This record gives sequence, C-alpha cells and structure tokens, in this order.
Amino acid sequence: MPPTSTPPPSSTPRRSRFAEKLLPGGTEPDPRFTLANERTFLAWIRTSLALLAGGIAVEAFTSDVFAEPVRRGLSVLLLLLGMLLSAGSAIRWLRVESSLRSNRPLPLPLIAPLLAAGCAVAAAVVIAVVVLA
Amino acid sequence: MDESPATAPLPDDGPLHGDPGLQPERTALAWGRTVLTLIAASAMSLRWLPDQGPFVLAMFGLTIAAGTGIYATQRRRYRRSIAGIRAGRLAPDVAAVFWTAGACVALGALGIWLVLS
Repeated sequence: MPPTSTPPPSSTPRRSRFAEKLLPGGTEPDPRFTLANERTFLAWIRTSLALLAGGIAVEAFTSDVFAEPVRRGLSVLLLLLGMLLSAGSAIRWLRVESSLRSNRPLPLPLIAPLLAAGCAVAAAVVIAVVVLA
Repeated sequence: MDESPATAPLPDDGPLHGDPGLQPERTALAWGRTVLTLIAASAMSLRWLPDQGPFVLAMFGLTIAAGTGIYATQRRRYRRSIAGIRAGRLAPDVAAVFWTAGACVALGALGIWLVLS
C-alpha cells in the first residue's frame, strides 16, 4: 500500500512537471538509492547497446560468412532485442523509482528473462547455421 | 536555475560529500561509459556508408548528438548528485533516462529500417 500522506511542499526538492506526472506521491528516497537505480538503468542500456552493436556488426561485417536471409534475420533479431531492452530498461527504472518512493518491494526484472530468451534464440540461429553449413 | 543546488558553488575545503560509496563519481563514470558504448555501437554502422549513402550519416549524427548532450551535462549531473547526497534527497533525472533510452530505440529502429531497405 502506498502511503497516503505527502510531505509538505517545503521539504520536497523542485521536481520537473514530467517527474511529478510519472512518479506521483510517496516521498523522496535516499539519494544513494536513486543514484544506484540510475546506474542499474545505465548498465541495462549498455547491454542493449551491445545487442544493437551486434546487430549492426552482423549486417556490416558478415557478408562472407552468412547467406543474406540469415544475415538479415539475425541482424533484425538483435536490433529488435536491443530496442526492446532499451525501452524496457526505462520502464524498469521508472518502476524501481516508484517502488523506492512508496517504500514497496522492488518489482521483478521482466527484461532479464527477455534478454536471456532473446540471446538464446540468436545463439541457436548461429549454431544451426554453422552446423547445417 | 541559478538558485538550484546543482549550480550552487561547492565548498573549497573539506569533503564534497559524506558518501563513502562514492556514488556521484560512480554514476558519472557509468554515464561516461554509456556515451562511449553509444558512439562505438553507432560507429560500426559507418561500414554501411558505401551501400546506403548519407542516411547512415544521419543515424551516426543522432548518436553523436545524444552523446554530446550527455557529455555536456556531465559536470552538472555530477554536481547535482553531490548536492543531492549532501541534502539527503535527490530528484530523479527522468529526462536524462528517457532521452537516453529514446536515442537507443531510435538507433535500433533506424538500423532495422536500413537492414530491410
């Protein structure tokens, strides 16, 4: 249950209108938790950037290795996974920040199984292509 | 803007903040690593330049702009987190998080469009 009482305006730091809308109610958490959440978001963003880089690299550098449909499919799969993770990491950041504000337990990371399943599919495609070749 | 803790002058002597975990430093470094990864990821797309033409440069330009934006606000971000640790409260940086995620989604979308076109 989120707390119903909000702190007096004098004790709350100035927040943007955007932040007020996205993270209503609750109280400002320990700043160290906010910073830790931001770093976790950035770690997820770097993970998604690694997938995006992989997708770009597959298309740009593997024309001698893979047939065109495989290359395109693998590249689109990795880029799509990177996009989903980028968007998912922002949503995760918001959900964690919201939990911190209202003192609720942290939500489960739904992007973790997404990352695992996506990477497993990409690896399976590469193995299948290498074995069948 | 000038009265906000982020732009207030820091003290000349004594510790900047009381956090032994050095969270402002670690967070600023995490942003720095993210800029490097963003530029490195999109730089690979320059390999498409001979085939795809100037559109690739637009895609690279987008990430350079995002990286420059993050880099330009690093000093402000570092001071803001120090001020937050000192004050015991820190407003979440919603705009930075959503701009960064948006730039990555756009990079992926442009990449898919280029691969399929």
